[in-house]
Amino acid sequence: MVHALEEVHRLLKSTGVMIDMHPVAESLPMEIQQGGKIDPVGRLSVIQWINDYQQADIALTEIKQRGIFVVERESVFDAPTYYDSVEEMSTHLKQSIDKFARDAEWAAKDISQEEALAARAAKLRQAAGSGAEVVLHERIHISRLRPT
Amino acid sequence: MERLDPENNESRALFDMVNFSGQHVLEVGCGDGRVTWFYADLAAHVTAIDPVASQITLAKEHLPGRLKDRLEFQHSAFEDFAVASPPSVYDIVLLSDSLC
Repeated sequence: MVHALEEVHRLLKSTGVMIDMHPVAESLPMEIQQGGKIDPVGRLSVIQWINDYQQADIALTEIKQRGIFVVERESVFDAPTYYDSVEEMSTHLKQSIDKFARDAEWAAKDISQEEALAARAAKLRQAAGSGAEVVLHERIHISRLRPT
Repeated sequence: MERLDPENNESRALFDMVNFSGQHVLEVGCGDGRVTWFYADLAAHVTAIDPVASQITLAKEHLPGRLKDRLEFQHSAFEDFAVASPPSVYDIVLLSDSLC
């Protein structure tokens, strides 16, 4: 990972900047939204991805410590995804895991937790009435780094 | 159909961080070009790479004619791309989930 960032450093002009965006390593709040009303459902584990997110944090810390890049700015923003139904959310999450999760064992382990949360979301969505949406919030860390 | 970030928090955060106007950009981990479309009209030239062939195919399918001269999608792992690239080429290198 750090070698890749050294390569980024080589490819950048001396006046250039590197922008990194990656999810914060934490579970995702899930809620039901109907108009202005919000019903919290729970938090969806990101266990399939947590090692990857942590590796990204470690790599950024290391290049800062080694003085290859300096952080000029950084912030965190919310990137919510809205679903028309719980089934749509579950299908989307399964597709993401099938496509991108590197560790099949973790992907399989988390299914029961996801199913329990989905069942709770379905119940709350039904109670909220037609038009209610399922919302998953992901926080993204963005940073601007300048090569030294 | 799911709606990802309809409030455009991501593009706002990106534009708050960097000005793409007239810049030479390398995007690593571009996927289907979802983030690329935010800024491609502003940049002088964009090279967007991803190691997943199906994602690059999708990106190319949606590439508008007006951008064909200055936006290229390449199916490539960053390590391979970097080895074949000269130094000091880019004003901006954008990593979208690609440190993960």
